[in-house]
Amino acid sequence: MHSIRKSILRHMNLRRSTERWFASDVNVLMQSRCLCSLTSASFDHILPQVIGMVKNYNRIDASKVTKTADFQKDLNLDSLDRAELIMHFEAEFSIEIPEEKAEKLTCCADVANYIATESDKRLIG
Amino acid sequence: MSITSTAAYLARRAAQKERVRILYRRALKDTLNWAVHRHLFYDDASNLRERFEANKHVEDLDTIDRLIADAEASYNKWRHPDPYIVPWAPGGSKFTRNPTPPEGIEIIYNYGREEND
Repeated sequence: MHSIRKSILRHMNLRRSTERWFASDVNVLMQSRCLCSLTSASFDHILPQVIGMVKNYNRIDASKVTKTADFQKDLNLDSLDRAELIMHFEAEFSIEIPEEKAEKLTCCADVANYIATESDKRLIG
Repeated sequence: MSITSTAAYLARRAAQKERVRILYRRALKDTLNWAVHRHLFYDDASNLRERFEANKHVEDLDTIDRLIADAEASYNKWRHPDPYIVPWAPGGSKFTRNPTPPEGIEIIYNYGREEND
């Protein structure tokens, strides 16, 4: 529904000013080109997915979730909740997060960063 | 005296928390190994969580130690013989399947032509 509204709005803009349409068109093109050429999932792609997963977690108030919200302090998770969450990430991105690393992942940005570097490592060797 | 005993108490508590966290993580992974389907896993996982939560408010240090030791014993007893390993991790099904070529080796895209052609 949202996307329909967006596309309608974009066409409305087109009628109003062609300049704007071209600008957005270039952006869309660039974006799709980036998506095609990407071989590894980058930080910017992983982060929204991570945030979405954290929001879906049933012990978290979804409105409080932000990029840098601390799992323990801001989102009121205990250590067991965090273990569950980390396991969820492991299953989703099919990686293995060692225990000493898992301890240090305290916010969504940390997690996305870790996953991005791990997937890079896998590609390199 | 009281400072050292407090420090010792805190150190012991920290060690216990660490043990519990690692135990829970391992037990949760093992639960996934035993559960064949996700919908079975969810029930098992919430049962596991309840078993941990039941002893959440135990205060006595020795009792906690005993509980952790019991839990670790039962974890070891029920450990899965063939646990799931992430495909790219050591021991996984895709481990070193496509190793990167050694340094110094490169592909020259001249499509079969020599340089002097």
